Amino acid sequence: MNNTHKTLLTFLIFVIASCSSVSVDRTNDSTAISASATDTYSDSGLTSNNILYFAYDKSDLNSESRVKIRSLANVIKDNNLSVRVEGHCDERGTREYNLALGEQRAKTVAELLIINGVPSDMISTVSYGEEKPAISGSNESSWSKNRRALVKTF
Amino acid sequence: MINKKIFLILYISIFLSSLSAQLRIEIKGGLQDPIVIAVVPMKWNLDSPQKFFIHQVIKTDLESFGEFKVLPPRNMLSLPASKEEVFYKDWRLLGTDYLVIGNVQPANTDQEIEVKYYIFDVVREKTIHSGVVLGPKITLRSIAHKISDNIYDRIQGLPGIFSTKLAYIDKPSPIDPYYNLMISDLDGYESLALYSSPEPLMSPSWSPDMKKIAYVSFEEGSSRIYIQKLSNAERIGLKLEEGINSSPNWSPNGKKLSAVLSKTGNPDIFIYDLATSKWLQVTEHFGIDTEPDWSPNSRKILFTSNRSGSPQIYEADTRTNKIKRLTFEGTYNARGRYLPNGKGMVFVHRINGVFHIATQNLRTGKIRILTDTSLDESPTVSPNGNVIIYATKDGDKDSLAGITLDGKTKFTMSSLAGEAREPSWSPLID
Repeated sequence: MNNTHKTLLTFLIFVIASCSSVSVDRTNDSTAISASATDTYSDSGLTSNNILYFAYDKSDLNSESRVKIRSLANVIKDNNLSVRVEGHCDERGTREYNLALGEQRAKTVAELLIINGVPSDMISTVSYGEEKPAISGSNESSWSKNRRALVKTF
Repeated sequence: MINKKIFLILYISIFLSSLSAQLRIEIKGGLQDPIVIAVVPMKWNLDSPQKFFIHQVIKTDLESFGEFKVLPPRNMLSLPASKEEVFYKDWRLLGTDYLVIGNVQPANTDQEIEVKYYIFDVVREKTIHSGVVLGPKITLRSIAHKISDNIYDRIQGLPGIFSTKLAYIDKPSPIDPYYNLMISDLDGYESLALYSSPEPLMSPSWSPDMKKIAYVSFEEGSSRIYIQKLSNAERIGLKLEEGINSSPNWSPNGKKLSAVLSKTGNPDIFIYDLATSKWLQVTEHFGIDTEPDWSPNSRKILFTSNRSGSPQIYEADTRTNKIKRLTFEGTYNARGRYLPNGKGMVFVHRINGVFHIATQNLRTGKIRILTDTSLDESPTVSPNGNVIIYATKDGDKDSLAGITLDGKTKFTMSSLAGEAREPSWSPLID
């Protein structure tokens, strides 16, 4: 004897406006669900010497970087600037852990700027983790360039 | 006993997105002695032509994880569409263990169709299941996946997962400078961008009812957690706190999210109550605490912490906040995810400087390394606990790959245009 029972299966119902993901120019696409475009990302910032590099899975800086931060602090103070410090990681390790590590790197730099006389309310920090590498490539020469913090005017 | 089940597939509207970010699946390996199943091309009793064939969708599904070998129609001696036309001897001769036949006809309304199908055990010469799946014509692919689920369930005794979906992040490429939050069927079809942004998107996580996805977006200049509904694309940002707002992960009942905030000065695990919009702190340590995952019984939260000096996985009791360290082998263990039975976890394990996906038995502590590639991360477990999909590298490109928990079948899922990362497997909704 057949044992019949009816199951109502409500499948995923998508009412999503057209989301073409190839269209590069979205300016006229009023239905696309997307954030607006900004300029291409760049490491350049406060001075041509605004990048601090870190060792793998570390957020402390060597004496050379500390000297660099001292001169950055002077530029910030002399020009009365607001700055944003961005922390970055290489691709090794997990993304969310790297987001946390990038924040520690940014905070190390921010603290050293404060020690060098920059008012704390002129500094903000952000971590991009491994999401915005300076250089692509899975090798030490790329990785060492990606483990960095950037000081940018804000 | 014959157990007949009718499934009704509802459909309101669907917008297909471009194929550019579609995943292409390639299977490597498989079982030495797969189950041989014949899926006969289904009799098409409709006026409109077939855009694709149901038996081919089912074939792709069943062969996904190496457990089945599907007999091609050219080897079949007959193409039965009803029980009366089945001659077991013919199918035994072809070495098939199971046989699936079916037919497709108009249902109640003009736009609806029904697929009637039968599963036969060729060796025992009996019908083991007959079913009907109903739905609008346009959901034919979902109907086929549902039949695959039922076949898998009847033969393997484990829920089929071919109706589940995968969310992932497609990173910018030369033809598309946006980060895209994608969802897709497991076979790569029906792919769709839920959200696009020039700033990074991270950490997609499906709600337990499969109706929403939580994720992290940097569109405001720093990380913030958003919840987006699939039905109408409505999105809300969770209350933004200073510092990192990351790693959203749903509680099993869908009422709360575990996440990471660094508003106290360092990243700690918090719980967000969706009813009250309030954050509750779970861990408090000056090191990094991140990557929470809720246990299936909702009593524990796994997380990664470097409190011992290197990243290791810990478990917090949500009632007592008591913390227990789970990993001791190696100097990098991170991003743990519970297996659906709660008895084990899958995580990222570094050995000799190389990152692999591993599992750990939570009772014995025994570790098993599953993958042999490098830079493997972001493991996500199928809702039936049988398969893991993770992010890896294909040359210099980010791509997805999968492996069965027994390690016997591997597959790659490369994005046709962009670079896919951070896979998140949807729940299984009945």
